[in-house]
Amino acid sequence: MSLIFSLMQQMSVFLVIAYLLSKTPLFKPMVNYSIRLPHKMVIYLVFSGFCIMGSYFGLGVQDAIANTRAVGAVLGGLLGGPVTGLLVGLTGGLHRYSMGGFTDLACAISTTLEGLLGGLVHYRLVKRGEMARLFSPWVAFATTLAAETLQMATILLVAKPFGQALALVQVIAAPMLINNATGAALFISMIRDQKTMYEKFSSSFSARALNIAQRTVGIMAKGLNSESAQQICRILHEETGVAAVAVTDRERLLAFTGLGHEHHRPGAAISSPLTLKAIRDHEVKFADGYQVPYACSLAEDCQLGSVLVIPIRGETCILGTIKLYEPKKRLFLKINRTLGEGIASLLAHQLLTGRLEQQQQLLTQSELKLAHAQVNPHFLFNALNTIGAITRREPDKARELLLHLSNFFRKNLKRSGEQTTLAEELEHVVAYLAIEQARFNDRLEVSFDIPEPLLGLRLPTFTLQPIIENAIKHGVSTLLEQGQIRVTAGIEAGVVKLRVTDNAGTYQARADGDGLGLSLVDKRVKCLYGTHFGVDIRVEPERWTQVTVSLPQQEART
Amino acid sequence: MISALIVDDEPYARAELAELLRELGGVTVLAEAGNALEAMALLQQHRPEVVFLDIQMPKISGLELLSMLDPKQIPRVVFVTAHDEYAIQAFEDNAFDYLLKPVSKPRLQKTLDRLKQTLPPQDLGPVTPPLTTIPGYQQQRIRLVPLAEVEYIYSDLGGVHLVTREGEYHTQLTLKVLEQRTALLRVHRQYLVKADAIREITLRDNHSAELETQLGHTLPVSRRYLKTLKSRLGLQLP
Repeated sequence: MSLIFSLMQQMSVFLVIAYLLSKTPLFKPMVNYSIRLPHKMVIYLVFSGFCIMGSYFGLGVQDAIANTRAVGAVLGGLLGGPVTGLLVGLTGGLHRYSMGGFTDLACAISTTLEGLLGGLVHYRLVKRGEMARLFSPWVAFATTLAAETLQMATILLVAKPFGQALALVQVIAAPMLINNATGAALFISMIRDQKTMYEKFSSSFSARALNIAQRTVGIMAKGLNSESAQQICRILHEETGVAAVAVTDRERLLAFTGLGHEHHRPGAAISSPLTLKAIRDHEVKFADGYQVPYACSLAEDCQLGSVLVIPIRGETCILGTIKLYEPKKRLFLKINRTLGEGIASLLAHQLLTGRLEQQQQLLTQSELKLAHAQVNPHFLFNALNTIGAITRREPDKARELLLHLSNFFRKNLKRSGEQTTLAEELEHVVAYLAIEQARFNDRLEVSFDIPEPLLGLRLPTFTLQPIIENAIKHGVSTLLEQGQIRVTAGIEAGVVKLRVTDNAGTYQARADGDGLGLSLVDKRVKCLYGTHFGVDIRVEPERWTQVTVSLPQQEART
Repeated sequence: MISALIVDDEPYARAELAELLRELGGVTVLAEAGNALEAMALLQQHRPEVVFLDIQMPKISGLELLSMLDPKQIPRVVFVTAHDEYAIQAFEDNAFDYLLKPVSKPRLQKTLDRLKQTLPPQDLGPVTPPLTTIPGYQQQRIRLVPLAEVEYIYSDLGGVHLVTREGEYHTQLTLKVLEQRTALLRVHRQYLVKADAIREITLRDNHSAELETQLGHTLPVSRRYLKTLKSRLGLQLP
C-alpha cells in the first residue's frame, strides 16, 4: 500500500510540473495535432524529460525502481507518433539502463516498447481520423495500462534470475499499473482542458471580431460623419463591453457612448492632448492610468481612468480616431486593445473602399454625361438650322460657323483626357459661343477678361463649357431683353477664380439639370483638388447669377 | 392663299421658314414674333389662319402660349422644334402636324398640302400645360405673375387687370380664358376672385351681394353668380 502512496506522491509532483509547463509556450505543440518537426522536437524533449525524472524520483524496491517513467514514454508516443514515441522510450530506456540494477536491460527494452506502443496507438487513431481521441483520458489510461502490463511481462522474460523478477513484479505490478495509468489519464485531461480553454477563448475572440466586422459593413461607405460615427460607437460599445467609446474626426468629437456621455458632447473640438498626439504621430496611444497618467480633459469628476486612442488611417492622412475608455477601477483588457486596433484598420479600409466606389461612380457618371454632351441634340439641330438659314444670305459666315461647329464637336470627342489647359477650354467655349451667338443674334453678348498668364492653367476638361452652357440655356436664353455673359479669371488669396456671370438671375438648384450639371463640375474639382476648391453659385434673382470655380494655383508650365 | 404667323425666338430660324414658305408659295406670312408675348398681340391683331409655333422660347414656351389663348381664337397650329422628345411624342399621339428643324422643303410642302384641305378642328388640350403664371404688364415692365399671387381679376374698358398684394398688372389674357384655365371664381361679369381671398360676403336687398377680399377690396357679386358662389363655398345663406 505504501508503494501506491509513494507513487501517487511522485505522480503529484509530475502533475504539478506538467501544470506549470502548461502555462508556457512549450505546451502549445501538445494541444494541437501537428506533424511539423519543431513541434515533434518539443514533444520529444518534454516527454524524454518526464521519463528521466520518472526514473530519478522512483523508489528503490528489491534492487529495482518502482517509477512513473512509463507515463512520459506512453504520452510521448501518443502525442508525437511512432517515431517520436520510440525515441522518447529509447532515451528513457537508455537513461534507466545507465542506472543499473538487475532489471536495467528489461526496463530499457520495455520503456522503448512503451513509447512505441503509444506511438502505434497515435498512428492508428490518426489513420482512422479520430484525432480528437488522442486527447481522451480513457485512451491514455488504457494505453498506459497495456504498456505497463507489457513492461511487467518484459521484466519476467528478460530479468534474471526469474525468481527475483517474479517477486518484484508481484510487489510493483498493481501499484504501477494503477498509478501510472491514472497519472497518464490526468495528464492528458490537463492538456485537454488547456486546449478547450484556448479554443474557447480564441473562438469567442474571433466571434466578437467577426460580429463587429459584420455589423460595421457599409456604415463607412459614405464617409466618416456624425451619423456613421454614432453607429460605430454603439456597435463597439456593445461588442467590446468597454465603459465608453468615442469617435472623432481630425478636429471634433463626432460621437460618444457610455460612461461620461454627459460631458463628452459630440460636436465639441478635440481637447485631449493624447488624441491630438495620436493624430499628429499617426500612432496608437494608450494611457493605462498608472504608468501613463490619464485624466479627462473635460471634467474633473470624470470616472474614466484609462483610454486607448486608435487613429483611423486614410490614404494620405489620419481621418480621425476611435477611443476606448475604461473607468478608474477597471483594468484595460489586452483583448480590447487588439480588437480596437483591428476595427480601426477595418473601418479605414471601408472608408477607402467607399471613397474609391464614389470616385468610380463619379467617373461613370461624368462619362455618361460627356457622351450626352457630345451629342446634345437640341444644340446640334438648332445649330444646323441656323447655319442652313445663313447659307442662303451669307455663305462665308455659314462656312465660318460650320468650322466652329466641327471644332466644337472635335474638341468634345478629343477631350476624353482628364486634364486640359484654360486656353484649350476657352477655345472650346468660343466655338460653342460662336454658334449660340449666331442663333440668338443680338440677344446674346459675351465678354472675356482672362489674364494672359492664366491661360496655361491646368484644369479638368469640361469645367468652363458646362457653366457657359448653363448660363445660356437656363439663363440668358429665357430673357426677353438682351442677355449678357461675362467670363473672367483671376487670382484671389492664392486661389484661382474663374467666374461666369450672366444678367438673368434665373438659377435654381435643379435636382438633375440636363447637360453637364454644375454639381458634376463641382464634384470633379473637389475630387481632384480637395474640398477647399469647387463651384460656388450666387444669385440675385432676376438680376444676375454668378458661378465661381475655385482652382489651386499652379506653377507655370511650358 | 393661307395667312400665317411665324413664332420663333431665333431670327435666322424665322427668316429661313419665311423664305421656304415664299418659295413654295400659297402662304402669306402676315407677321413674325420673337417670343410668346409678341405672338399673343400679333395673333389678336392679324387673326392668321395658321401659326408656325416654335416650342422652346424665353419665359413662355410655345405650348404655354396655347394655354393663355381663347381656344376659339387659336388658329391651326403647326409645331416647329429642333428636338423635344416629350413634345414630339405628344404630337405623334395626337396626330398633330409638326416640323423638325432644319426644315426640309418637301416636308414643308406636305404640311401645306394638308393645310389646304378642310381639316377637322384640333383639340390642343392634350399638349397644353396647365396655366401657372400670367404675363402681366406694369408700366414698361413685364412680369410672369404666379397664379397664387393673384387675389382677383377684373376687366374694364382698359382691358383685363390682375390684382396682387404688390399691385395691379395689365394682361392680354381674356377673362374667359382665365376663368376656364384657373380655379378663380366668377362673381360678376367683370370679376374673377380667388376663393381663398374672400373674407366676407354682405348680402343686399336686390339679391345681389358684395364681397370683401383679404386685401380689403370690395367687389360686386351679381345675382347671377351668387348662387354658384354660395354653393362653391359651401354656404347655406337665406
